[in-house]
Amino acid sequence: MSRTHVRIAGALALWLLFACTAATRALAQVPDTTAAIDRPFVPGGYDDKPHLTGLFGRIAIGGYVEAHAFTEQVDGATEEAGFLLKRWNLLVSSRVGERIQVWAEVEFEDGGSEIVLELAQMDLELHPAMNVRGGMLLVPIGRFNLAHDGPRNPFTDRPLLATELLGSALSMPGFGLFGRVPLGDAARATYEAYAVNGYHDGLLLDSPDGTRLPLGARNPEDLNASPAWVSRVAWNPGERHEVGLSGYTGAYNVFRTDGLDVDERRTVRVAALDARTTFVGLDWNGEAAAIRVEIPSGLSGLNASRQAGFFVETTRSFGQGWFGGMPEAFLSAGARFEGIDFDRDLAGDSQIQLTAGVNLHPSREAVLKFDYGRSRSRDRFNNAAEGAALKLSLTSYF
Amino acid sequence: MPRDPDPIDPSARLARRRLVGLLAAAICGLGLAACSQLLTTAPEAGDVFDGPVDGLSSAELAAFVEGDAQFGKPFSAAEGLGPIFNNVSCASCHSGDGRGRPENALTRFSLGLDPAHHLGGPQLQDKAIPGAQPETVPSGVDQSRRLPPPVFGMGLIEAIPEADLLANADPADSDGDGISGRPNYVMPPEFMAAHLPVGVPVLGRFSRKAQVSSILEQTVAAYHQDIGITTDFLPVENSNPLASAATEAADRVADPELPAATVHSVVAYLRMLAPPAPGELTATRARGRDVFNAIACASCHVPSFRTGTASIPALSNRDVALYSDLLLHDMGDELADQRPDGQADGREWRTPPLWGLRIMRDFLNGNAFLLHDGRARTLSDAISAHGGEAAAARDAFLALPQSDRDALLDFVGSR
Repeated sequence: MSRTHVRIAGALALWLLFACTAATRALAQVPDTTAAIDRPFVPGGYDDKPHLTGLFGRIAIGGYVEAHAFTEQVDGATEEAGFLLKRWNLLVSSRVGERIQVWAEVEFEDGGSEIVLELAQMDLELHPAMNVRGGMLLVPIGRFNLAHDGPRNPFTDRPLLATELLGSALSMPGFGLFGRVPLGDAARATYEAYAVNGYHDGLLLDSPDGTRLPLGARNPEDLNASPAWVSRVAWNPGERHEVGLSGYTGAYNVFRTDGLDVDERRTVRVAALDARTTFVGLDWNGEAAAIRVEIPSGLSGLNASRQAGFFVETTRSFGQGWFGGMPEAFLSAGARFEGIDFDRDLAGDSQIQLTAGVNLHPSREAVLKFDYGRSRSRDRFNNAAEGAALKLSLTSYF
Repeated sequence: MPRDPDPIDPSARLARRRLVGLLAAAICGLGLAACSQLLTTAPEAGDVFDGPVDGLSSAELAAFVEGDAQFGKPFSAAEGLGPIFNNVSCASCHSGDGRGRPENALTRFSLGLDPAHHLGGPQLQDKAIPGAQPETVPSGVDQSRRLPPPVFGMGLIEAIPEADLLANADPADSDGDGISGRPNYVMPPEFMAAHLPVGVPVLGRFSRKAQVSSILEQTVAAYHQDIGITTDFLPVENSNPLASAATEAADRVADPELPAATVHSVVAYLRMLAPPAPGELTATRARGRDVFNAIACASCHVPSFRTGTASIPALSNRDVALYSDLLLHDMGDELADQRPDGQADGREWRTPPLWGLRIMRDFLNGNAFLLHDGRARTLSDAISAHGGEAAAARDAFLALPQSDRDALLDFVGSR
C-alpha cells in the first residue's frame, strides 16, 4: 500500500470517527430549526430548485432549459452566429429515510453533443454542523460553481473566470464533510471540505492554447491515485449577503506508477474569494480566483504557471405590474465586468469584458435575456483584438 | 435570483406602460440604427498581414480560409506536439502573419558547414512535452538567433521569374559598385523529390539566408522542426540526440501526425497571402524615395519585380513592391553570425524585403524588431548596423542632412 493510500485511508477513518461522534450527539439533540439553518445550503444551488416536484413517492424531479441566439464578432469578422440549445438539465432528488438525501443532475449541453453527470451526491445528514457527502460533487471553488443555473444567472453567458479558468460547471468524484453553524437568528457559517480526484494532466497535454484547467477537469477515475483537497468556508450575515473563501490543492500529473517515481509531483493550487450583497438598491455578486500550476521545465515559458481572474456583476429588478397580461412579470437590468489573465507572467494572453443586459422575467422561474457585450482580448504578443456580442436567451426551470 | 421587485401603484401603471413602450421603441430604433457601431469594425484590407491577394476565385478563397485555420491551429501533446519543439502553432511565432519577437526567436546552430545533426542541429528545440528532454545548445557550435520572418507575400515571391532575380546578381562585383549580390543555390531535401529534380541545386528565395527554395519545403520543415509535427513528407520525429533514447516514447501519437493534404492547405494559404498596402506617397516620402535611390539603398532593396505565370492566376503578371533582390550580401562584422547556410557564408544575409514595415508595429504591440535577430528597434538603428557591402550606403545615410534622413525613414517606414 502506497503512502497515498495510507493517507486516504487515514482521512476516511478520521471522518468516520467524526461522523459517528457527531451522529451520536445529533440523535440526542432536538434538531436546530433556526432560519439560518433552514435556508438552502447554497442559495440557488443544488438544494434550492424551485420546480423540483414529487413524482414517484419519494422522488422529486425537475430541471431547466436554456436556449441561446447569438452573434459574436472579433475585429469586424463574425466569429460565431446562430442558435444553440445550450443546456437541458434534468434534476432529481430523493429523501431516502430521515437522514439520507440523494441529489443528481444530468446535463445535456450544446444540443446534446455533450452529456455530463454534473451532480450525483448522497448526503448523510448527521447534524446541521456535520454531514457526510460522497459521489459526483460540485467542487466548491468559488460560489458560482455551486449555483450556476441559467434561470439564476442574470446574463446569458457564465463568467469567463468560471468557464475559461476553472472549468465550471466543475464536478469531481469525491468524499467529505459539509455543515452549517448558526451565528444568531439570521447569520450562519457554512463549510464544505472534500477529497476529490482533482484535475489531471489534460490541463497541459490536451491543451493546445497553454495551461487550461478546464481540459483537465474530467477525472472520473483518479489517474494519479492521489486525492486533491478542496474546501470552501462561507459567512452569511443574512439571506442576501455572503462572503466565501475557497482553496484547492492537488497533484495533477501521474508521478508514481507501480511503486516507481516516474515524474516529479506537480500540483495545481487555486484560491478563490466570492461575495454577494445588496447595496444602494442593487444586488452585487463577485468572485476572484488565483491559480498556480507547477509546470515541467520543458514547457516553461510556454505554459502559464500563474493565472487569475475576476468578475463583478450588479443587477436590479423593477417593473412588476407593468405587463397587463403577465401579473407576475417583471424586468431586471444589470452589468458585469470581468477579466481573466491566462498567463500572469506575460503582458498579453488576457481578456477583459463588459456585458450589459436587460431581462424580462415572465415568472420567477423563467427569463428572457438580452445581452450586449464588448471585450478586448490580447494574444501572447500582447496585440489587442476587439470583440462584441449580441445575445438573446430564453431559460426556465421546469 | 433577482430581488423581489417593488410593487407599483396601480394608478401609475398606465403611464409607466406608455413610458416603457416609448423607451423600448426608442432603444430598438437606436439599436438598429447603430447596429454596425455596436459590433466591431474590420481593419482595411491593406492594413493586415493575413489578407488574401486580390482576384482569387470563391474556391480559392475557401481554400485560403481552410489554410488559415490550419496555420493558426495550435497543437497539444495529445495531438502530436513534440517530443521536442519550439512553439505550438505557426501563428504562435508569426504575429498576425508578420514577424516574431525576440522571445520566440529560433536558435540555429552548426559546426561550420556541418549541420550538426548528431548534436541536435541545425535548430535548437528548447521545449519538450512531459517525459521528453528539451535540447540545450552544445558547447563549441556556431549559433545564430533568428527572428521568425513575416510570411505574407510568399506566393508573389515564388512567382518572380528566376531570371529576373539573377539579373541583379553580381557575385564578382564586375560593375565595381561594391555590391556583389549572389544567389544561394541549395539542394532540396529528399521529400521534395516529387516536385523537383533530384540532386539539382535550386535557387533559394526564402528565410534569412535564402536557404529555402519553396513554400512547401519551408512549411514541412517548420512543422517538423518548430512544432514537432511529423507529416507524410517527414514522418520520423525530430529527436534530441543527446537525450536518453527511452524518452522519445513520450510522444505517443502515431506518425505521421499530419497528412500531406493539410500541409498543402497551409502552403496554399501562404501562397495566397497578400502583402499589406504601402502608405500614401506624400511629398516628403517622394523625396525620401529619391534619397533612397540616390544613396544606393535600392541596389539591394530593389523596389519592384513582376511575377511571371503562376499556378494561381491571381498571382500572375503582378507588380511586386518587394524592396529586396532576394540575393545574398556580405553585411559586415556586426551582423555576421559566422554560421553558413547552404552557399551563404557566415557574413552573408538575404536582403530582407521592406514591405509591411508600415504596419509592423500594429502586430507587435507598438514595438519594432528589425534585422535577423530583432536587435534593432528603429529603422535608423537597423541602417546603422549595416556593414560590408552596405557600408557605403550606411555612411551616406548617416551623412545626410536631418531632413533628408527623416524623409528617407518616412518613406521606408511607409512601405
